[in-house]
Amino acid sequence: MTAAQVPLAAWLLFAAPVAAVLLGFFVFRRLKPEWTHLPILASCMVVTASAFSLAADVYTGHSFDLNLFRWAAAGNFAVDFGLRIDGPGTAVLAMVALVGSLIHLYAAGYMKGDPGFSRFFLVFHLFFLAMIGLLTANNFVQLYLFWELVGVCSYLLVGFWFQKESARKAALKAFITNRIGDFGLLLALLLIVMQFKVTHFHLIYLKLASGATFELLPLIGLCLVWAACAKSAQFPLYFWLPDAMEGPTPTSALMHAATMVTAGVFLLVRSWPMIFAVEGLPNLIAWIGGLTALIAAIIAGTKKDLKRILAYSTVSHLGLMMLALGLNQIGAALFHLIVHGFFKAALFLCAGNIAHALHQPTANVDDVGGLQKSMRLTYLAFGLAAVSLAGIFPFGGFFSKDAILDAAWHHGGPLAIIGMLVAAGSAFYIFRMLFLAFYGARPEQKGAPHAHEAEPILAVPVLFLALGAALAGLLKGPIERFVVVGMRGLPSGLPQLDVVLNLPGEPTLPHLNLLVAGVGTVMALLGAAAAWRLTMADPGFDWRWRGGAAEAMFESDFGWKTVIDKLASAVSRGAGFTGRVLDKGGLDGLVEGTSGLTRAAGAVIARSAQGRVNDYLWWMVAGTALLLGRVLR
Amino acid sequence: MINLTAVVWGTTGALFAFGLAIVVLRRQLLAMLLGLELMLAAVNVSLVHHAGIFNDAEALAVVALVIAVAAAEAVVGLALILRLRRAGSGADAALLTELQG
Repeated sequence: MTAAQVPLAAWLLFAAPVAAVLLGFFVFRRLKPEWTHLPILASCMVVTASAFSLAADVYTGHSFDLNLFRWAAAGNFAVDFGLRIDGPGTAVLAMVALVGSLIHLYAAGYMKGDPGFSRFFLVFHLFFLAMIGLLTANNFVQLYLFWELVGVCSYLLVGFWFQKESARKAALKAFITNRIGDFGLLLALLLIVMQFKVTHFHLIYLKLASGATFELLPLIGLCLVWAACAKSAQFPLYFWLPDAMEGPTPTSALMHAATMVTAGVFLLVRSWPMIFAVEGLPNLIAWIGGLTALIAAIIAGTKKDLKRILAYSTVSHLGLMMLALGLNQIGAALFHLIVHGFFKAALFLCAGNIAHALHQPTANVDDVGGLQKSMRLTYLAFGLAAVSLAGIFPFGGFFSKDAILDAAWHHGGPLAIIGMLVAAGSAFYIFRMLFLAFYGARPEQKGAPHAHEAEPILAVPVLFLALGAALAGLLKGPIERFVVVGMRGLPSGLPQLDVVLNLPGEPTLPHLNLLVAGVGTVMALLGAAAAWRLTMADPGFDWRWRGGAAEAMFESDFGWKTVIDKLASAVSRGAGFTGRVLDKGGLDGLVEGTSGLTRAAGAVIARSAQGRVNDYLWWMVAGTALLLGRVLR
Repeated sequence: MINLTAVVWGTTGALFAFGLAIVVLRRQLLAMLLGLELMLAAVNVSLVHHAGIFNDAEALAVVALVIAVAAAEAVVGLALILRLRRAGSGADAALLTELQG
């Protein structure tokens, strides 16, 4: 296959966003800033159409992996810029394009009138472009480039309202934590170059399949997991995500829920053959994911800020995806990633609608209550997305979560129990949020009497997303096929991946197991009932965690936030100390030492030049003696 | 029997050393000039002796040249010393420190 045979859709995938961003930046931003979104929305449509066209190609078996041009070369080593249009990539790409476009549309209404309207759209779309690049990259260097680009866009958008100090701080926190993870990816990249001498995914897969031993592989795997943990907000490095909610709601919905944070999961999918080859690493991933999912689900049940509840819920669901990956269920992880993209985006946009109705940047559960009458469409969308998240049959989340729970169940042991507890916990927090926002209002809630339904441009995208969340279960078959196509290798002579790598277990999704599905549903219903009991059944019962050790524990995320704060301040103090020592002792010392040395040397030499003729004569005698000695020898 | 060459080496060496010592150690400019003349005279004596030994006329020519140069040098040196005395700077080399860096 040559570059001429690359389908038009693949070119458009890059051409449309680049053109839109350039047009927006150079033309509309100058002349008509409030129209910046027009070329960008057009580009969204083109990208969505292209993504679905490519997905259809892949679905019918026309995936490809092609180097378009040589990007950089040095000696035997070269980096190409290429496209890898395969099953996992296009499946996620189609979701990102569709959800992203709907959120772009929503943002056009939500950000209207903001002084930074055009800046928002340009960065937002740049992020979209970066995400497309990340999902279609065919080597690790290209992936790394776009990985960094999404990080930068995230920083710019979290700190979008930079006049707020909390936004600036959150942006820095997100960026620095991501940088820590990026360092892991950079290390992994360099180790890969050292070990394999190539960076292309399929060449690495081939080398792995050759059966040779690669002694650096465990280190590479650990670095990759480290990078994924930072990007996908997993346990040691999850804490930046809840703070990232300082950005505008569309940002939270698109980047910090539906797409960007799933990049870590996607990275692990791309490098799965490497990770799988390391003894014990999948197990580690499963445990990180399971524990993160459980802890975040518990914390989400205690938060009051609507967006923060959803942020912890995102952490929890990313943990579920990691759990699925760790159990070697790539299909289940991707399936949940896609379904999660729909319902989480819908939930975030509903939270945005509520805040919009209250004319606040963000809403608290105490500010709302009983919104079901005044905001019917939002209530409908939120309800659909919530039951999907909770995993109630027959909504989308049921199928994807069931696949993961099934994998955990069959793995057995503590992970199975953790999976079921997460099922109960996520139903609890999402129904608690649903009841508190839309039912009631409880006595301590303000009830938002002036709340009104959002205008159509805000309500319609949310409804579409909620519909997607509800119906995503239908995607089970297609996604299975995407994963199989992706794993069964690409045409044009590339060997079949699952065969050459000898992956155990089916790349297909588990079949519906009535026992697991039943237990999962019961757990979800128990969670929902507990939420009802705590919030609605008895208005006099105070559901809030107030005072005492419990509140402190949940506020500090079981103490982990305190540890991180201590660590961060220790690091910054250490850096300050080192800087002072280096600056005063090193740089200042160097500068002042140079002048001091010169002066001292001058003083010594000047002592020999006092202008006394006799001294000079001594020198003359000495010099002559030296010369004579030389000559006479 | 005492070797004549040894005697000449000893005398001229001593004369040269005295001259050098005077030039380097004394501060009186006139004395330093004297020391210089002493060194030149020592060299001349040595040259005359060795010219005889090696039967070399060129050495004698050099002696004549050195005498001429010594005379010229004495003229210039004395003139400088006179100028310095006229200018009131004295003839003490230790006080003439205009060359100090």
